[in-house]
Amino acid sequence: SGELYCSLPNPRNVHFESINMKNVLHWSAPEGTGDGVFYKVKYAVYGVGKWIRKPECRNINRTWCDLSSETSDYEEQYYASVKAFLNGTCSDWMETTRFNPLTDTKIDPPMVSVSSTDRSISIILTAPEKWKRSPEEESVSLLQVYPGLQYNVSVLNKKTKKRWFFSISNNTLVVPWLEPGTVYCVSAQIHVTTPVLDSGFSKEHCITTLKDK
Amino acid sequence: TCRVSMSMAEIRAGFTAIKANIQSRDPIRTLSILSHPHSLHKVKSSDRCCITHQLFTFYVDKVFKHCRTEDSFVNRKISSIANSFLSVRRKLGQCREQNNCVCGEESTEKFKQILANYEGLNVTSAAMKSLGELDILLDWMEKSR
Repeated sequence: SGELYCSLPNPRNVHFESINMKNVLHWSAPEGTGDGVFYKVKYAVYGVGKWIRKPECRNINRTWCDLSSETSDYEEQYYASVKAFLNGTCSDWMETTRFNPLTDTKIDPPMVSVSSTDRSISIILTAPEKWKRSPEEESVSLLQVYPGLQYNVSVLNKKTKKRWFFSISNNTLVVPWLEPGTVYCVSAQIHVTTPVLDSGFSKEHCITTLKDK
Repeated sequence: TCRVSMSMAEIRAGFTAIKANIQSRDPIRTLSILSHPHSLHKVKSSDRCCITHQLFTFYVDKVFKHCRTEDSFVNRKISSIANSFLSVRRKLGQCREQNNCVCGEESTEKFKQILANYEGLNVTSAAMKSLGELDILLDWMEKSR
């Protein structure tokens, strides 16, 4: 295929970066090479006997390639590989470690919505959706992907700085016996028990309880 | 039905600690012991208990004992996982004795395929590949809980 003698240094640190199962292959340019390096990408389903080229990532000069579509079946595991080309020479194919979308993805924090009465606040949490090819495609919540998904919720009384932590499995929480006319700030995190996956905490959502009637 | 308690998180943590090490010892990308040509995810729910018992027996009898490495940390994690598997296999065995874990044709066929995949390689390679696929088994078990 026109490749001459492959003496180019290899691409480095070839790895998947995955958030909510949006699976993007990343790598670093071969050492000592400036501009002008181009890359090819291929991937394989583990246990299936062929490597498949990714046409959209053929002869690219960027150092990432979105393989979300090709790796969307999270019941499978994958390898990906990158080869570099410069001035007619090339590198070896450099592979990732085995990629398991289910355990190797990172999860975004949940969406938090809060409402209040005079002495309580109600919190509704929404888990992020799995990456999908297009807006028209049916949404799959990560709740469906991870049956053991739970929420850790933090509630802070801004006046007294007192903080409570709750761990819940369903997505609603009512916190009673609060002080009227007081600011409470809520933040939440997703915790999957097994495989162990934790999102970061969401940004704080603050709300003031109604004044006493 | 057969209900067996097991420390899934502990097994999962043990495997995660050695996953990169074990999988790097398996250079064969084109063959899987557990997931091809037939995926575990296609097993009928009625057959799940039986195939789980068969797989735990498979790992105890044919995998762990052939996975000694030069790394004592890895060896300790493997024996900890093996001990967990031994206790779960014993419980599943009791279910089988009480006829709560019936083997249908599908699980028998599926397990035959797994053994054929295993016997297609030399023992050490097959054992190391099987150990590297433990997350395939755990993912399937968690999903079908």
